[in-house]
Amino acid sequence: MRAREPDTEGYVEQDGVPIYYEVHGSGEPTLMLVPASPITHSRMWKGLIPDLARRYRVVTIDGRGNGRSGRPTDPESHSRAANVADIISVLDATDTDRAALVAHCHANWWAMEVIAENPGRVSALVAVDPGIPYLGKSQPHWIETGPHWGEIIDDPIGWQLNNRHAITTQHRRWVEFFFGEQLVEPHSTKHYEDAVSWALESTGEILAAGDDGFEIDFPDRETVEAACRDVDVPTLVIHGDLDVCQHVERGKAFAEITGGEFVVIEGGGHLTLARDPVKVNRAITEFVDRIEGKPMRERTWPRGLNRRKRVLYVSSPIGLGHARRDIAIAKELKKLRPDLEIDWLAQDPVTRVLEAEGETIHPASEWLASESAHFASEASGHDLHCFQALRRMDEILVANFMIFQEVMEEGLYDLSLGDEAWDIDHFWHENPELKRGDHVWMTDFVGFLPMPSGGSHEEYLTADYNAEMIEHIARYPRIRDLALFVGSPDDIVPETFGPGLPKIRDWTEEHFQFTGYITGFEPPTDDELASWRSQLGYREDEKVCVVTVGGSGVGRDLLEKVIAAYPVAKQSMPELRMVVVAGPRIDPAGLPAHDGLEYHGYVHGLYRHLAVCDLAIVQGGLTTTMELAATRTPFLYFPLRNHFEQNYHVRHRLDRYGAGQYMDYAVTDPGAIAAEIIARAGAPVDYLPVESNGAAKAAKMIADLI
Amino acid sequence: MRARHPDSEGFVESGGVSIGYELFGDGDVTLLLLPTWTIINTRFWKLQVPYLARHFRVITYDGPGNGRSDRTVDPQSYSLAAQASHAIDVMDETGTEEAVLVSLSMGSMWSLSVAAEHPDRVLGQVFIGPSLPITPPSPARAGIEGAFWVEHVDPQGWEKYNAHYWTTNYQDFSEFFFSQCFPEPHSTKQREDCVGWAMETHAEVLVAEATARGVDHNTVLDLCSRVTSPVLVIHGDDDRISPLSRGRRLAEATAGSLVTVQDGGHIPLARDPVVVNLLIKDFADRLAGRQKAPA
Repeated sequence: MRAREPDTEGYVEQDGVPIYYEVHGSGEPTLMLVPASPITHSRMWKGLIPDLARRYRVVTIDGRGNGRSGRPTDPESHSRAANVADIISVLDATDTDRAALVAHCHANWWAMEVIAENPGRVSALVAVDPGIPYLGKSQPHWIETGPHWGEIIDDPIGWQLNNRHAITTQHRRWVEFFFGEQLVEPHSTKHYEDAVSWALESTGEILAAGDDGFEIDFPDRETVEAACRDVDVPTLVIHGDLDVCQHVERGKAFAEITGGEFVVIEGGGHLTLARDPVKVNRAITEFVDRIEGKPMRERTWPRGLNRRKRVLYVSSPIGLGHARRDIAIAKELKKLRPDLEIDWLAQDPVTRVLEAEGETIHPASEWLASESAHFASEASGHDLHCFQALRRMDEILVANFMIFQEVMEEGLYDLSLGDEAWDIDHFWHENPELKRGDHVWMTDFVGFLPMPSGGSHEEYLTADYNAEMIEHIARYPRIRDLALFVGSPDDIVPETFGPGLPKIRDWTEEHFQFTGYITGFEPPTDDELASWRSQLGYREDEKVCVVTVGGSGVGRDLLEKVIAAYPVAKQSMPELRMVVVAGPRIDPAGLPAHDGLEYHGYVHGLYRHLAVCDLAIVQGGLTTTMELAATRTPFLYFPLRNHFEQNYHVRHRLDRYGAGQYMDYAVTDPGAIAAEIIARAGAPVDYLPVESNGAAKAAKMIADLI
Repeated sequence: MRARHPDSEGFVESGGVSIGYELFGDGDVTLLLLPTWTIINTRFWKLQVPYLARHFRVITYDGPGNGRSDRTVDPQSYSLAAQASHAIDVMDETGTEEAVLVSLSMGSMWSLSVAAEHPDRVLGQVFIGPSLPITPPSPARAGIEGAFWVEHVDPQGWEKYNAHYWTTNYQDFSEFFFSQCFPEPHSTKQREDCVGWAMETHAEVLVAEATARGVDHNTVLDLCSRVTSPVLVIHGDDDRISPLSRGRRLAEATAGSLVTVQDGGHIPLARDPVVVNLLIKDFADRLAGRQKAPA
């Protein structure tokens, strides 16, 4: 899912080629983002658009030859003049009288011409890794391969692929090689995949035509240098010093000749805007605000000694699971520090729970891009490839981090508490100078684990993500002032982080404090259980089986399978009553009706039903299964396929408690489910008791920081 | 020892008064740090100058009556027109075409006047605890209005703000006044500094200055309406000399921004120098960005 959808979109027709554009936001001024087409398109700005569009009006363009624009194949259609005309047409079509241009690589050359041909139309230029011919230095591989462009090379390797014939016939090879070279930063797997996939939305023929079009009307050095000197708007150049496409000396020369500012990303390559989006966002907004002379917003600065103690609590919104434990911790924290103010930066559906509890929700919460909607969009059937879904959430994480950072800076919080708030943890390690206040990191699992379906590539990817996290913490131990593991050392899976990496348990014991499990509620007494059961209308002489799949639409397949087991089980167990909680997103109208089987959309106080029933059938999420463990309810759980957390981490923990019966959705048929229902409904359990003081323990450790 | 000594210094004759100025740094943008009420001298900027001079060209000068300037007792030297001329004369003498004007308290009046009369020479203005008669004074000060020339028996509190009392008990008045300027706890050094600078001049000078005042509400708002460049106001919400309502009204009248220092008094530049320094720098950087000339 995208972090932000455009407010408007459309096409302009330019000499028969449709050119696609989007408009995001409505602030001042307008920024137009120009990608270096046709090797890429406007999705390359995905880490920047949500943040920029919150402040300014952002217009994006898919240059000819890629994205949603037309695909002309003749070089004349890819001339500089044609690309410049496209930019002007989009400015016209979007009623943009004046805009600051943000351009990448050779798109800066087009931007210069837009500035020269349209005095007053461009207010500023942000040149990211600018590719202006002649300036500074050229990379040697371009100089070496240029003369062989038109030849046919037998079995070209490496930079020899920079050749019309090779690009046309071995497009993927060239693109993979090119972006492999450009992404010099370690741990760039996702950025590489993105760049390659965008390039492959076009063809080798078009890419080669783009290069040929580049040569049409190619100016001499004097003309280019004179054009640079004539740039009469403020410029900001952002350049990685390890850029293998455009030498950093080129960006430096462009900044010098235009009298602009120069920001070097040390250790950065050609795709700094993707690889270091936080830094690039901040550099752009700082520059734009300054040149626009934007007035400072009105604000209050409280003197240091007079401030109330404030905590910003960020609760992961992926599923509802964490809300209850976070509220329990917050309540314990307020007991220990009655003067503490706690604000919540949270999303639906967590905000509904917080509102019901009377907690204070920070108004910036409404700007957050929805992580739970993203995960829902990633699920299909009884399948959620959780690791890949998290990787594909990259632009949402950047968008939400930028909001979090702004809230921390303006709110002057003493401490932030992130319950699996991946964005904060990741981007504060990537941008450690931005850290504000103390930070508590909290999680109930450590380590990304590969699913067999992902093969060896996923083993490589999970190891790479784990390695990055380990390096982050080794280099910047000061980012996590306290790291809490919700559970005990025995809950940690007996795996390693990957080949050559530490054992997860050893490393976690060294870097975390353990709270024991946190359910967020006191387990009911036997008297309570008995009175709940009668209040809910469940008779003693019936066996009640509650089936629930949470609030998302993910669970329909599981419901159907379990319902198919009902008639079979009912034959051997006439006292069976099945209560299906379908949730708000699943319409029970299409599900079969049976005597003794009932459907509910939403059930108030579901945990009470789960506590008193004779058997629960659920997915493999940690919160629900551990609630069942705590109330000592017999249950069957079906982890979502390809969900590493449910299949490994949660299952390992439940095994330790001796709680629940693991079921493999893929190989379990209704008959097998019926057999389990008959065997387990109402049967005694011998679970290990679940801790009940975890929230207080966590609160005590957090309070010690404040 | 001073944290930073001036790179150059000099005097300019302004309306018959010798005005001492100092120059620091050589940035592209000039900040003119105006004097304030003559009870203290330009050393009150001591916590700003070293930082700002690393980024900007900074000019400070003493108004008549304190510091390195003449201790004239001619009220005309303290009139609004004369004070505005001192600022312009210092800018001319130092070859400063345009500057960001930064003022404290009473200096706000002179800053506004320069900005209204010479808009081409003012890039923007920062007002700190501006003291302008555009909203009512605090009740404590309102109670003594019109009693400045009246001799009190055993004056208490704001009754000490009085020509006779100054002449006979100048130091005690200063101690009282600066205790009001700094309501923040732990402000001993800030009060001592100000009282020390007050002791560098004498009561007759203050009386002459007080004689020259008399600008009314409408005159100030007229000046505000003629301001064309950006404005930033920094004001403590516990300012017992000039209430926050004045800073707010000034920001409204000039379409400026207001930063409120919560629990701050009249002189946050001395009591909260870091935040004030950063705000001035940020404001001036934005102006500098706007002014960026093509290469």
